[in-house]
Amino acid sequence: MPIPSSIAIAGAGLVGSLLAWRLLEDAQQSGLKRRVELFEKSSLKYPRAAAHTAAAMISPLSEVVVSERAIYDMGICSLGLWPQWLSTLNKHSATPVAYNNQGSLVVAHPSDESELEQFAQDLHFHLQHENTATWLTGHELRQREPDLSQQFNRGLLLPDEAFLDNRQLMINLHQRIVALGGKIHENAEMQFQPQAVCDGFDLSRFALCVDARGVGAAQSQAVRGVRGEVLWVQTPEIKLQHAVRLMHPRYKLYIVPKPNNSFIVGATEIESQDSSPVSVQSMMELCSALYTLNPAFAEARIIELDANLRPSYLNNMPAIHHQPQQGTASINGLYRHGYLLAPHLIAQFIDSLKSA
Amino acid sequence: MSAFTLYGQTFNSRFLLGTALYSSPQAMVDSVKAAQCNIVTLGLRRQNPQEKDGQAIWSAIRDTGCTLLPNTAGCKSAKEAVNLAEMSREIFNTSWIKLEVIGDDYNLQPCPFGLVEAAEELIKRGFQVLPYCTDDLAVCQRLLDVGCQVLMPWGAPIGTGQGLLNRYNLRTLRERLPTTPLIIDAGLGAPSQACEAMEMGFDGVLLNTAVAKAQQPPIMAKAFASAIAAGRAAYESGLMVKRQTASPSTPTIGQPFWHQK
Repeated sequence: MPIPSSIAIAGAGLVGSLLAWRLLEDAQQSGLKRRVELFEKSSLKYPRAAAHTAAAMISPLSEVVVSERAIYDMGICSLGLWPQWLSTLNKHSATPVAYNNQGSLVVAHPSDESELEQFAQDLHFHLQHENTATWLTGHELRQREPDLSQQFNRGLLLPDEAFLDNRQLMINLHQRIVALGGKIHENAEMQFQPQAVCDGFDLSRFALCVDARGVGAAQSQAVRGVRGEVLWVQTPEIKLQHAVRLMHPRYKLYIVPKPNNSFIVGATEIESQDSSPVSVQSMMELCSALYTLNPAFAEARIIELDANLRPSYLNNMPAIHHQPQQGTASINGLYRHGYLLAPHLIAQFIDSLKSA
Repeated sequence: MSAFTLYGQTFNSRFLLGTALYSSPQAMVDSVKAAQCNIVTLGLRRQNPQEKDGQAIWSAIRDTGCTLLPNTAGCKSAKEAVNLAEMSREIFNTSWIKLEVIGDDYNLQPCPFGLVEAAEELIKRGFQVLPYCTDDLAVCQRLLDVGCQVLMPWGAPIGTGQGLLNRYNLRTLRERLPTTPLIIDAGLGAPSQACEAMEMGFDGVLLNTAVAKAQQPPIMAKAFASAIAAGRAAYESGLMVKRQTASPSTPTIGQPFWHQK
């Protein structure tokens, strides 16, 4: 059975945008005519999607430690898909999306060495012989990252883990969707009751309406928001080539290098539907992580603070629901694993449409 | 295992479990179920309780059917703790409160002064206070003086998994406060440590990290539940006193001498 020829997608975040683009790209490659329209409740100029706030790491090893084996398997699949997809997207983009797959480093303050041991032990428990993490001495760490503080006696290298420039990705995706004939309707809120409706639009014209609203779907699905806070800093003094994770007994934080000498530091994880501004407590935790990696971060400039909600089901696992009779489907619950899981889920969803 | 009573309520399980730090709410719910505990603690300090933004996780915790014991984790003064306790009472409709007033940022040691001050105020306001305290006898006595009917001395600093660090102090507490329900709260990392606390005659054990951070939390919850039950059963059935001289459990009279090697 072919993919429906007209598809409406609610939510222009990562899942909605990536799905719209893949459906259009697939149609073009197959010489098919396909109508794909994205409905976003806010303006793309002021993005509120978690996709905008995220650090955009694709880190299956790091994440399996705090989740389940299935997350690793889906993440490995995404790690294979991202370079292919970005290569296609970048061919048509003035500014390509930067993609770094040099792996992640995991370190801990010498007084918190046991946290690093625990991380290594948990990784081994989940992956056994598939565990590709390797120990690095302090010297080897600094060979890879000369700007890392001298205090780290050792660390772990998680090879192949990646991160990408998500803000450029979202811009390029939206441009490519339009270039391929798709439409993006801003300030257009789609709802599912359970049939899809949107003021000013006749959605009955679409054979399939996909709900990719993330926490926006909380009214109609059992999705909750989990608060995350991040900090952006800028400094020309420090260069990092890897995403660096800092293990700490009370919080696990990461620092990911971004374009223009900037870095994103994140993320808190608070079981709350609260999207109000970053708290002082969280700011202190995030800054303290930065300072631990290199005291020169003390003179970095804070350029952005952001708080957002991760869409999550009770088990913190993603889910795809498809109701062909109603002409609706949903992809949600990517929790803190948006960039890690989205390509796998979207590829799986498109395959399921083809074989339905 | 005998039941125990806290502030007039009787519970079958002597295992109190924390609901933070799990990989997902589902993992927490599964662990509570595996632990077969009757009381769970929950913190709301960082969940923007004024706006009730933690509803999703609070509902999951409520649905376990356990008695809720909200805590004041993260509070560093009596005033903060009292305010948070009032919010907890409003949100969860319970006047039970696990009182935490932290005196040191590094080891999260309870502040004895703030604790007594907050306990006195909360009891005046009608709360049933379960204070997380050190193992200091004088502090425990002051907490009883201001009206606490249950005490929760630490085994070790929160989240360290160090076990019972000061057995002398803990034994003293048990001996000097024989009728006060005493629950070992925090610092336990292994079921054997929980079992030891129960063998010493403590009335219950409260923990969180050792279960939540286990690679398989529900299985670890079950392990702790078994250890706590074993420790209590051992205490109730009377542990033998250690002695120096060996005493055979099988009489040797009548045993032919050539069997001996």
